[in-house]
Amino acid sequence: MQFHPFKFISICSLSFRNLLQHRLRSALSILGIVCGTMSVIAMICIGEGARQKTVAQIEQLGIRNIYIKALPLSETQKQKAGDRLSPGLHTGDAERIEKGCPYVSETACLKEIRASVMGLNADISPPIAAVSSSYLSVLNLSLYQGRFIRDLDIQNKNPVCVLGYRIAEKTGAKVHIGEWLRIENKIFTVVGILRQTAQKREENAAISVRNCNEMIFVPINMPDMEKDLTEIIVQAEHADRVVLSGKMTERIMEVSHHQVDDYQMLVPLELLHQAQKTRRIFTVVLSAIAGISLLVGGIGIMNIMLATVSERTKEIGIRRAVGAAKTDIVFQFLIESVILTSLGGTAGVVVGIGAVRLLAFMAEWDTVINLFSVILPLSMSVLAGVFFGLYPAWQAACMDPVSALRHE
Amino acid sequence: MGNKDVHVLRGIDLLVSKGDFLSIMGPSGSGKSTLLHILGCLDRPAYGEYLLDGRNMFAGSDRELSRFRAEHIGFVFQSFHLLPMLNVFENVALPFQYSGSVSLREQKRRVKEVIRQVGLENRMLHKPAELSGGEMQRTAIARAIVMNPGILLADEPTGNLDSETGEHILEIFKKYNHAGGTVIMITHDREVAAHARSCMYIKDGTIAVPSV
Ligand SMILES: Nc1ncnc2c1ncn2[C@@H]1O[C@H](COP(=O)(O)OP(=O)(O)OP(=O)(O)O)[C@@H](O)[C@H]1O
Ligand SMILES: [Mg+2]
Repeated sequence: MQFHPFKFISICSLSFRNLLQHRLRSALSILGIVCGTMSVIAMICIGEGARQKTVAQIEQLGIRNIYIKALPLSETQKQKAGDRLSPGLHTGDAERIEKGCPYVSETACLKEIRASVMGLNADISPPIAAVSSSYLSVLNLSLYQGRFIRDLDIQNKNPVCVLGYRIAEKTGAKVHIGEWLRIENKIFTVVGILRQTAQKREENAAISVRNCNEMIFVPINMPDMEKDLTEIIVQAEHADRVVLSGKMTERIMEVSHHQVDDYQMLVPLELLHQAQKTRRIFTVVLSAIAGISLLVGGIGIMNIMLATVSERTKEIGIRRAVGAAKTDIVFQFLIESVILTSLGGTAGVVVGIGAVRLLAFMAEWDTVINLFSVILPLSMSVLAGVFFGLYPAWQAACMDPVSALRHE
Repeated sequence: MGNKDVHVLRGIDLLVSKGDFLSIMGPSGSGKSTLLHILGCLDRPAYGEYLLDGRNMFAGSDRELSRFRAEHIGFVFQSFHLLPMLNVFENVALPFQYSGSVSLREQKRRVKEVIRQVGLENRMLHKPAELSGGEMQRTAIARAIVMNPGILLADEPTGNLDSETGEHILEIFKKYNHAGGTVIMITHDREVAAHARSCMYIKDGTIAVPSV
C-alpha cells in the first residue's frame, strides 16, 4: 500500500467525523478501554511508588549491612538465658564477628537510651543513642558541622554528643558546637551536627529506619550505662559477600549466645530480594488484570466495529466502485478502530493520572508517574485497536462489491 | 443465498469501440446490470474473458483491478450512490483517494472544473440530502468523470428523474462522448436510448438484437 500523507490525513479526519456522528455510541464503546488503561496506569504508578519506597528504605539501612537486634525476653526465656550463660547483645559480639568473619569490614554498636534532655523546649524529647565511632561510616551519614564521636571519646568516656540536623535546627541558635547540653544529670558538649538525610518517618513491618535527623548521639560505654546493646550493625566489604557474611555471623552468634534467641538478624539485601520477588508476582497479576480488561474492552470495540461495517455496507460498495482496493477498505476501518481505542486510551490515562494523584493526596500513598506508566497503557490501547479492528475490517474488505452496492 | 447456480449471462460476445455511445436495453432481470458490472471490473464472470485495450482484465490482482477502476472507469447509478456524510465537493473528490498521486492543488482544480461542467458550482458545500435528484445525479456524474476515465458506465441514470432533468443528464453524457469518451448506458426508455449512437437489446442473458 502506498502511503500519502494527505490521503492518510483525509482518511483519519473522515473516520473522526464518522465517530462524531455516533457520539454516544462511540463513547459507550470505548468505556471498556478507558477502564482497562485506567487500571493499568493506576497499578503501575502505585506499584512503582511502593517499590521505590521499599528500595529507598532498604538502601538507607545499607545494602552491605547486616543488622543484629536485641529481642526483649520473657521471664522464662530470661531464666533459660541465665542458665546457658548468654550475656545478651554486647560489644564483645561485635568484636568476635569482626575477628571471626573475614568478609566483614566494620561493625557498629548502638544502644538506645531513655533519658530526658534538659534545656530544650518542653515539647521535644529526642531519642538518644549511644553509638560506637563507626556508626557514621556504616550508615553512610555525613557531618554538617564539627566531628562525630571518636574512639578516644569512648575510651576516655568523654561527655560529648552529636546532634541530628532537625534537633540542631529546633534548638535554634542556642545550641551550637561547643555548647552544653544536659542529659539527665550529666553535661555533654556538642561536638558535631549531622547533615540532613532525606528520611520518611513511616515504618514498615519488616524494616524500621531510624530517623537520624531527630536524634542525639553520645559515646557508647559511658559510665553507669548498662552493657547490653540494642543493635549491632555488621558491614560486609562488598555486596556480594553479604549473604555469606550473614551466614557466618549467624553461626558466631549462635555459638556465643548458646542458642538462646535473644537476638534477631535482619539482612536488608535479602529484604530487597524478597521485595523484588513480590514485585514479580505483582507484575504478573498486573499484566493479567490489564490483559483481561483490555480483552473485554477490545471485544466491545470489535462489536461496535462489526455493527459499523454492516451499517456501512453500501458505503463500502460505493468506495469499491470508485476504485478502493480491499486493502484500502481494511485500512479505513482499522484507522477508525485505532482512533476509537486510542481515544479511550488517552481518556483512561488522563482519568488514571487524576485518580493516582488523588490517591497520593488523600491517602498519602507513594505513587510514581513516569513515562513508562503512560506509554504502556497508550500503546496497549493502540494495539487493542489494531487487533480487535482487524476482523471487522477484513470482513468489510471481503464483501462482494456488487451485492454491497445493492444493499439498502 | 446461493443454493442454486444462476446463469445470468450466457455467451455474450460484445465489441465496443473507443469513443462509442452505446445504450443497452432489455427487460428487467435480463442481465444488463450484471454485464455493466463486468465491463466495469466490479464483478468477475464465471467463464469467458474481457479484453480492454487488448489487456485481459481479470488476470490482475485486486489492487491492480481497483486502481484501474479508479483511473479508467466511471460509474453512474440509478440511485446515485453518493456518500451522505460528504458534501458535493468531497463526494466528487472521492476517486482521488484511490488513484496515483495527484497533487492536492491539481485535485482541487479538477474537482472544481467538473463541478462547473455539471453546473453545480453554487452547491459545492451541500450534503446530498440537501440536493434534488437531478443535482445528486449530476454530482455522481462529476465523480465519475473527475479522473477523466475514458469509459463511463451508467445504469439507468435517468430512471429516478423526470424527463426534463433526464434530458439535462443526457446532454452531459453527449458532451462527454463528443470529447472522446466511451459511454455505455443502460435504459428502459426508448427515447433515452435514441440519444445514443448505437443500441443493443439483451434478453435472458443473451444479445437479442445485435447492435446496429
Ligand atoms: N448475486 C446474485 N445471485 C443470484 N442471482 C443474481 C445475483 N445478482 C443478480 N442475479 C440475477 O441475475 C438476473 C439479472 O440481474 P440484473 O440486475 O443484471 O438484471 P437487470 O437486467 O439489470 O434488471 P433491471 O432492469 O431490473 O435492473 C436477475 O434475474 C437476478 O435475479
Ligand atoms: Mg439493473
